[in-house]
Amino acid sequence: MDFSIDHETRLLLETVKRFVKTELQPLEADLDRSGTLPPETARAIFEKSKALGLYGMNMPAKLGGAGLNAVDMCLVEEQTGQTSDILVRRAFGNVYEVLLACDGARIARWLLPAVTGERVCSIAITEPGAGSDAAGIKTQARRDGDGWRLNGQKHFISDGEFSDFFVVSAVTDPDAGARGISLFLVDKQTPGFTVGRNQPMMGLRGTSHVELFFEDVALGSENLLGAEGRGLRLALETLGRIRLAHIGARSVGMAARILGLMTEHARARRQFGQPIGDFQMIQSMLADSAIEINAARLMILNTAWEIDQGLDPREKISMAKTYGAETYCRVADRAVQLFGGLGYCQDLPIERFYRDSRITRIYDGTSEIHRTVIARGLLKDGPDFIARH
Amino acid sequence: MKVLVPVKRVIDYNVKVRVKADQTGVELANVKMSMNPFDEIAIEEAIRMKEAGKAEEVIAVSIGPQQAQETIRTALAMGADRGVHVLHDGVVEPLAVAKMLKAIVEKEGPTVVILGKQAIDDDCNQTGQMLSALLGWSQATFASKIEVGDGELTVTREVDAGLETIKVKTPAIVTTDLRLNEPRYASLPNIMKAKKKPIEAMSPADLGVDPTPRLATLKVVEPAKRAGGVKVADVAELVSKLKNEAKVI
Repeated sequence: MDFSIDHETRLLLETVKRFVKTELQPLEADLDRSGTLPPETARAIFEKSKALGLYGMNMPAKLGGAGLNAVDMCLVEEQTGQTSDILVRRAFGNVYEVLLACDGARIARWLLPAVTGERVCSIAITEPGAGSDAAGIKTQARRDGDGWRLNGQKHFISDGEFSDFFVVSAVTDPDAGARGISLFLVDKQTPGFTVGRNQPMMGLRGTSHVELFFEDVALGSENLLGAEGRGLRLALETLGRIRLAHIGARSVGMAARILGLMTEHARARRQFGQPIGDFQMIQSMLADSAIEINAARLMILNTAWEIDQGLDPREKISMAKTYGAETYCRVADRAVQLFGGLGYCQDLPIERFYRDSRITRIYDGTSEIHRTVIARGLLKDGPDFIARH
Repeated sequence: MKVLVPVKRVIDYNVKVRVKADQTGVELANVKMSMNPFDEIAIEEAIRMKEAGKAEEVIAVSIGPQQAQETIRTALAMGADRGVHVLHDGVVEPLAVAKMLKAIVEKEGPTVVILGKQAIDDDCNQTGQMLSALLGWSQATFASKIEVGDGELTVTREVDAGLETIKVKTPAIVTTDLRLNEPRYASLPNIMKAKKKPIEAMSPADLGVDPTPRLATLKVVEPAKRAGGVKVADVAELVSKLKNEAKVI
């Protein structure tokens, strides 16, 4: 088993790491305080990153992306994850792989501009009445001549204020359950489509989370993404890799950054005449964090490797997402404890990390849903998938 | 004109260096290695000369083990055009390096050689000066600004008294100081392109140089730990300590 990372990838990681540290991290504190990223700053970091070829790295090279495989992408996301969500979105782009289902005229209209960053896309599946139960959505698209009429409502749509178009899930066959759901590409300026209020969150300040309303929105046949009735399947197939990279790998990255700060503090902070790092209970916090980060990281990279081998490691994606998110949360919690009052105080970024960490156990599938996926896999096929060979 | 830039693989500047238990040198196992930071500045300057239309080609040279190729690839990913790798395991001293570089300069015919003023591992600060002497070229060391003129370079140097500006005739040797520029990020497209750029491999023997060290390292030890200070009661005690304990007055 070869765990080495080739030289090109290491060079890329150095570049991403330095970019995150020098261009993005200094913006975090103001961003968290004000809750908004000024458009000119957003533009500037996008252009700088773009000039270095760092936008849309997960997209195939023939479309203008970097064509990174899943392992390299996860290594990169460990670096991008070490800053605030909105900065990652603006600098590197969350270009969703579900867009690769674009064909014909859809490629030029939606896919390519998303890869270049000319247009930004959000995924809109969640509704007030349908969170984990993605098949329980009420938004409907009815056939209307060659096209469709879209009616319904979405909420908590990340980055929706900024996005130019949305991948929207809607029921196209109310009698077919999960197989009656399709995906639609909906441009923001389409008549009947309105973006509602920004729903303020505990953390992730600067990233908007908005309501979307569709009132008799007229869509053409070209707005349908993928086959009719295959929407949920398409979303689940393509969001797995994103889930691994965006939640798993970024969580591990941020946890590692926090552990770095904890370690520094344990060395420098003195109480009772000695560095607090000399106390065994502090050591235990540090050691447990390191163990968990290492475990999460190996889980993520192994799962990514299986994806690159053409396997379908859905239970492992669930394990890595859950364990990565929970590790991030535990490490952030320990950091608050280790820093004490300073950790709770807004003068340091620790309390922000704590707030930002909490959502990772909820979005992109709650820890509970992912545990269900893992358990179902076990009950159906037994535990062989854990140590596939 | 061609610009030649020697680049050295050294222990990364962020690594806390440890002395080997047998005192023969420093620990290199499991240690992150990178390009010498002053050489990065040299590569950056050469690439800027090329971008400004003052240079046609930038050649990166490294003398060292197989892994020194990675250092060359890093230079290529920043924007150098091609590499030369002199494969050699073990210690090479500045004079041997300068002799090998002289042979490469004679083969490649660059107008300017830009070197780091020193490598952060042995801190010798000799190679550039030795190469200048061996070639009989003018030298401008510790550069914080370089302007390329017609058959000459105007170089601002960081010296103890401040900044000194000198003019040197080309061909010339320049060594870089910290404030010359800020090296760029290797962009992703350039990292990919670097894979396809050629690296010519050769040995010290091909260059007619015997790299055997002329110095023997007796031992390497950690700097002495700083002892805590003491407070003295009055001037008399201070003077007495300086005289009797420290024996400096």
